[in-house]
This record gives sequence, structure tokens and C-alpha cells, in this order.
Amino acid sequence: MLCRVADDIFWMSRYVERAIWVGRLIDVVWHFELDAGDQDEGADVWAPLLGPNHPRSLGTGTPSARDVRHFLAFDQENPSSLVNCIRKARSAAQGVRESISSEMWEQLNTVYLSLDTARPDARAEDDPHAFYQPIRNGMLFVQGLADSTLLRDESWLFFCLGRSLERADTLARILTLQAPLLQNVSGAGQDDVVRWLAVLRSCGAAEAYSHYYALRIEPARVIEFLLLNPLFPQSIRFCLETAMAALEGIAGPVVVGAPGAGKGDLAVRALGLLEARLRHTAVDEVLEEGLEEFLEDVQHRVQVVSEHVTAGYLRDEPQPGRLVAVARAAMIMATQQQQQRWPSPPDPLSLPRERGRRLL
Amino acid sequence: MTSVPADPRSAGTPGAPANTEAPAGEMPPYNPEQFWDEMFAGPGQVRHHYAELARKLATLSPADVARRQRAADHSFQARGITFAVNQGVEGIEKIMPFDLVPRMITPDEWRQVERGLEQRVRALNLFLHDVYHEQRILEQEVMPPELVLGATGYRREFRGVDVPLGVYTHIVGSDLVRDASGAFFVLEDNLRTPSGVSYLVENRRVLKRTWPQIFETYDVRPVEQYPQDLLEVLLAIAPPIVDEPNVVVLSPGVYNSAYYEHVFLAKAMGVELVRGSDLFVDDATVYMRTTRGRRRVDVIYRRVDDDFLDPLTFKPDSLLGVAGLVATYRLGRVSLANAIGTGVADDKAIYAYVPRIIRYYLGEDPIIPNVQTYLPSEEDDLAYVLEHLDELVVKAVNESGGYGMMIGPHASAAEREEFRQRILADPRSYIAQPTLALSRHPCWVDDHFEGRHVDLRPFVLFGREVKVTPGGLTRVALRRGSLVVNSSQGGGGKDTWVLGHVPEESVPSGAQFIAPAGDMAPRGEGG
Repeated sequence: MLCRVADDIFWMSRYVERAIWVGRLIDVVWHFELDAGDQDEGADVWAPLLGPNHPRSLGTGTPSARDVRHFLAFDQENPSSLVNCIRKARSAAQGVRESISSEMWEQLNTVYLSLDTARPDARAEDDPHAFYQPIRNGMLFVQGLADSTLLRDESWLFFCLGRSLERADTLARILTLQAPLLQNVSGAGQDDVVRWLAVLRSCGAAEAYSHYYALRIEPARVIEFLLLNPLFPQSIRFCLETAMAALEGIAGPVVVGAPGAGKGDLAVRALGLLEARLRHTAVDEVLEEGLEEFLEDVQHRVQVVSEHVTAGYLRDEPQPGRLVAVARAAMIMATQQQQQRWPSPPDPLSLPRERGRRLL
Repeated sequence: MTSVPADPRSAGTPGAPANTEAPAGEMPPYNPEQFWDEMFAGPGQVRHHYAELARKLATLSPADVARRQRAADHSFQARGITFAVNQGVEGIEKIMPFDLVPRMITPDEWRQVERGLEQRVRALNLFLHDVYHEQRILEQEVMPPELVLGATGYRREFRGVDVPLGVYTHIVGSDLVRDASGAFFVLEDNLRTPSGVSYLVENRRVLKRTWPQIFETYDVRPVEQYPQDLLEVLLAIAPPIVDEPNVVVLSPGVYNSAYYEHVFLAKAMGVELVRGSDLFVDDATVYMRTTRGRRRVDVIYRRVDDDFLDPLTFKPDSLLGVAGLVATYRLGRVSLANAIGTGVADDKAIYAYVPRIIRYYLGEDPIIPNVQTYLPSEEDDLAYVLEHLDELVVKAVNESGGYGMMIGPHASAAEREEFRQRILADPRSYIAQPTLALSRHPCWVDDHFEGRHVDLRPFVLFGREVKVTPGGLTRVALRRGSLVVNSSQGGGGKDTWVLGHVPEESVPSGAQFIAPAGDMAPRGEGG
């Protein structure tokens, strides 16, 4: 498959997934706000969604709930706003129309055209559920069509890889925003239960959680479920396992780390380490380390994997410093023996540039 | 003139004046006026092969037609069968307006078109071989050498280069028109990268989807096989040393006005759609960059003009091409369709000589004649052209898509004066032709039928043999009275049916074609 085509499918899939999450988040927080009653002003539930970096386009001062919603859904300057996600997914799909199924393209184009109306933001404010639900369903439909129409070749594998990495990343971001809440366990008051439910809902996990535990909602279990559950398809662990399976399919039957291993050797190693970490840890250890640190580390490593995938498969450029591990090890030993400071080759987990900074 | 499908009550009354039969408030029947109308021999006189269609139209109300029209438009929009109007980053995507009523071509008419195009394409390929090799036609003074060697499409770099099978133009789209007598003429040849074939196939698909009933009782020859025929041609011209050739389609990218077509063809042939940046040349071989490393490319169906193909040979600032491609092509290590340098044969000035080219190489008379063409570069013609600017169509030789032309009878005095100056300044760059009364076809306009001028672009494939796809793109000048059919100038399209045989005589050919009762106000004269 052409590098450019793989790149577009990977990012199309990521933006489709991101659009689903943004749409769901707005919908869920809106419902939660209604449950929360009138003890706080509305911005209280919305403002935290902006994260620590206050976006420039909202100006200074406390943004109103409406401003936050606009930022998340319609702001042209927010690279991850709902409309930008859909526009970018559609534009990537347009570049690879010959490599995806016509059904997928038509569905994505239909959702895109449905936003191309007068004042969509007014429609969204007027009847949020009626606005966000069809968009989310439309994007889920794209994923369903991919499942039933894409050949199980690299187009499918890059689609899966993009979706799984994006899902793991977004989950970690949403949980980071909610982490202070989850850790401030002030007792199992009625309000807290509603909040934890909202967290589960914003990850599309409320029903699955109830079904899995059939117990009263409590923060430790919520964290365990969303991070480490092996069966729930929207847990971070599950996403990383799915991503790993796709990446192994792409890398082919190479022995990882062997001399002359495939172009994506670094990606396979980085993702393998991360997946193993999620697979072989328990929730108490996560909390011991600190939930926020853990989530930050997941985001960082997903970013690194994404960069190695890009360098290994999506660009056909010579990669400076991509040494066979044994050669690099020999260099390290030589350095240590001579007790000399030698410019070290790049660390496979070093943080490279991002493709469009995002808050969520 | 205005009209709509026939009132069933009057449909069986051959030749009856519509006004006497129709309900009160009725409008006059569709009037073909002084033009050749594809559907009508005269007012109320439906041509035999259209009779069945006229009967089907008569059973529909304007609301039915409008509903199907909307369904068709929606189908084009949702599937993204669009072309970009402004070539730019955020270009506007438009659908080509589609008219539901198909244009039909009888087997006899088609036989003439097919034979005429084959003759023309064979002669033009012999001409291309000649001007890039011995140049006999110039030595024997059949054509002025400066006209050929000075044409912008002539690539002197390719003199002496042999092309696979001796074929230069693997894909040709020639524009045909009919005059008031119904005779076909060739208006121009497109021998470089003709576009529109995706519409030929898609118009058929959409019409089948939105109005399947009108296909009943007609024996319409299929066009669906075009991409497979094209693939066969591309495989046939692969470098002979290659066992399993890799074919790709080279597109300038999503902002090209014909991008949809590039996608369509690549997908239907099952080959990669690439851009210049996906390819590179190493060791006299063209490769594409894939997730598994480099992969050899043997045949390139390029939808990029000569000028942009290779920054090392042509425009140095081109980002659309591949450095080293032309050198590789000269070595015969990669094949291009169409070959480089075919533009010399569809030059609008050379066009005037095509009848002579056919006689010179084949010793035959042209089966489809040219439109009379005046070359201001020749003295007698120049005088005539300047004297008759108000009746002629003047075209810039190096422009296409309906740009750079003046239609004398429709132009203002100022425009005519401007063209007079331009012709005097650079006579080689212009040609003039009489204003043709292009044939017309009924089209659905708002809520009724009106006659609109049409042309026909059939597509010819030339690999081991010449194959004319039985169909074509019928382009419609949608503005009333307009003669410009180009999609960039607001033209639309129709499905084009080449009939396998003409249906049995089932209705009298004089079936009425007038308005049903009720909901339409009369309209003014058109045309």
C-alpha cells in the first residue's frame, strides 16, 4: 500500500473516532449538568473540559457553558472540534477514495454535508440530543461499514490501528480531566455517584460497568474498569491489545529486534512495552504511582507509538539513527568502557513532534 | 417554446395540433424550431426510436419528474461525483447538472460514428509517428512545416523515440456535433488527457437507479465495461521485458477538477491511484513508495499534462510530476498513456488539416467531416475572418474548456474589436469557424421541457485494436440559446444510449408531446 494512502486511512480513522468521543462528551456533560441541579453555575461542569491550557479563542475570563460547547463542537481554531474532526476525516477519505469502499466514503460525505447547513450551532443549542446523536451514529456507521466492507489487508489494519490508538489516547485524556474528581473520595454521597456515572457515560461504559460488576459504583472499580478491563472494548488495555494485533499484522512475521527487522520495529517495541504494562498491572499499583502520572505516561507513549508508526510506515524517508539494536548496544558498551560522554543515539521513547496539538 | 410530457388522452392522436386537444390553459407543443432536434422531426412529430420514451414520459406528472430529478441530484452529491470549479485549496465542489431524459443514437448513426472515429484515430497516430520520425508529410508539403514544428504541443525532444505498438493516443475523446441537417461533424479532437468518461458510466448508473422503468423495451448497449477495456489497453503497452506489469493512474490530486474521475478509474481497474510525490526514479526504473518499501511501476495512465510531468525536462517548478520520468520513458523502461507530445495532433490549427491527414495516410475520404475552419495565419482566410467576425466563432488555439473563445453573433462590438486586434497581433494562435446550429434535445427546465443544444463526446481506446465505447458523454448547454456545453461554463450532462436495435413500430411516430392538465403556467418563446 502507498505510504500516503496508509497515512490518510490512519488519520481518517483517528478523526472519525475522535469525532465520536467529542460528540458523546458534549451530550453526556449536558445531561449531567441537568442532574447536578442548580447548586453551581453551569460553567462549573463545562470549564474543566478545557483542561489546564486555556484556549486562546475563548479570550480571557471564565468562559460560559455555551462558549465551552462552541469551542468543543464548532470552533475552527480548535483542531479537535467536532466539525474539524469531521472535515479532516472527510478530507483524508477524499484523498484515498480508491482505497476505501464507496459506502464508507458516501457515509462520511453524508455526515459532512449534513453539517453544511445554516447555523448548525444554533440547532445544536436548541436540541442537543437531536443534533449530536445523528452525527455520532453517522460516524459509528462509518466504522461499521469499514468492518463489513474493507478488505482485511493493510487498509483494514491501518484503520484498526488508528481507531485503537485514538481511543486509548482519548480515554486517557478524558480520565485525566476527571482524575481530581475520582480521587477526591469524600464518601459515597448521592452527588458523587451521579458524577462517577457521568464519567462512565462519557466513556460509553455505564451499562457495561453495571453488567460486569453488578455492584454499587465506586471510584476504584471505575478506574479499574476503564483502564484495565480485558473484555470491555473501550478500556485502555483492550484498545492497546487491539492496536498491537493490528500493528503485528502490518509488521508481518518479523522477529522483533532481530537484525534487519521490519521498518516498524521501533513502533512494535514501543507499543509492545505499553501494552504489556497495561496487561500486567493492577489498579492498586496504578494509584500508588498516581493516577494522573499514569494517564500522562499512557498519552505520552501512545504519541511515541504514533510517531514511530509514521516514521516506519507512513513516510518513505530514510530514518537517521535507526540502528540495529545490537549495533547500538555495542556503541553503548564502548561508551561505558571508555567512560566517555558520547552523543547518545535517539531513545526509542523520546517524545517527537505532534501532529496538531490538542486539548482533548 | 415550452412543453412537458404528453397528456395521455392526446398521446394517441397523431399529428393533431395540441391546442385543440389539450385542456384549457394549455401551452403549445414542444417546438424544435429551425434546429435539428434529436427527439422531434417537427412539432409533435416524435422520431421513431424515441416514440416509446415519449409514451413513458406522457404518463408522468411534472411532480414525478421533479422528484426523480431530485433523487438523481442527491445521488451525485452524496457519492461525491463532483468537479472542482475554482482550482484552489478550498475549491467549490459542484455536481454536473444531470438531465433525466436520455439521448438516443440509432445503430445506423452509431455505425457511422464508430467507423469515422476509428479512421480518424488511426490516421492521427500515423501522423504522430511521422512527425516524430521521418516527417514525410512535411517533406511532401502536404502541411506547412512551421505549423507542425511550431505548435506548442510539438515535443522536439521526442523525435526518434519509438512508442509501444506504435500507438500514441491510447485514450481519445473527440467532440462531435450535428448541424441543422442532422449530419455529424467533428468539432475537435482531445488527444492529450481527455476527461468525462466517468460521467459516461455514472450517468448510466444514476439513471438506472432513479428511473429504471424507462429502460424497459429499449435495447441499450452497456458502457460498464469501459474501465476493463482501458486496463487491457494499459497492460498491452507495458514494456515488453515485464512479466506482470504494474499499472498506476497518476493524478494531480484532490483539487484537480477531474479528481473524481481519477478515483473512479483507479478503483474500477483495481490499480493504485498515485500522485507525483508517491513516485520516484532510481536506476532508470520508476518506483512507488509503499508501506513495504519500493515497488516497481511499469505503466502510468497519467492525467497530468506533458508540461508538468517531469521538472527535469519540462516546467522546472512542477510539483505534480516525477523527476527523471521522461528519461526513463525515453529508455522504454516505463510506458505512458497517452504518449508525450500528442498535443501537436489536437492543436486547433492542425485540426483544419485532419481531412488532408486522413487522405494522405489512409487514402480515404473522411467518414465524419470537419467543421469548416479558417486559419488567420493564411492570408485569404485572414481577410475573410476579419470581414465576417460577426458570424464566426473564434477560438484561441491553446485554450480549452470553453475559455478564450468568441461567438460572433452573440458578442458585443467591443468584444469583436478586441478579438480583431488579438488575431492581427498573433494570427497563428486563432482559428475561426462558422457558428453552427448545434442540434437540440428536450431537457427538463424548472417544470417543463425545453430544447437545449447538445454535443457528443464518445471515447476511443487504442491498444492492439481500436475500440469505441458504445455511448458517450452528451453535454448540454443549459442556458437557453447558449452554444457552450463545457462543464466549467455551466454545461450539464445526459445519459447517452446507443441502441442495439431500433424498437419495433409500436406507436405511431407522431405521438403528441405536450403538457398534462393543470398546474403549469405558459412560458415564453425560447431559443
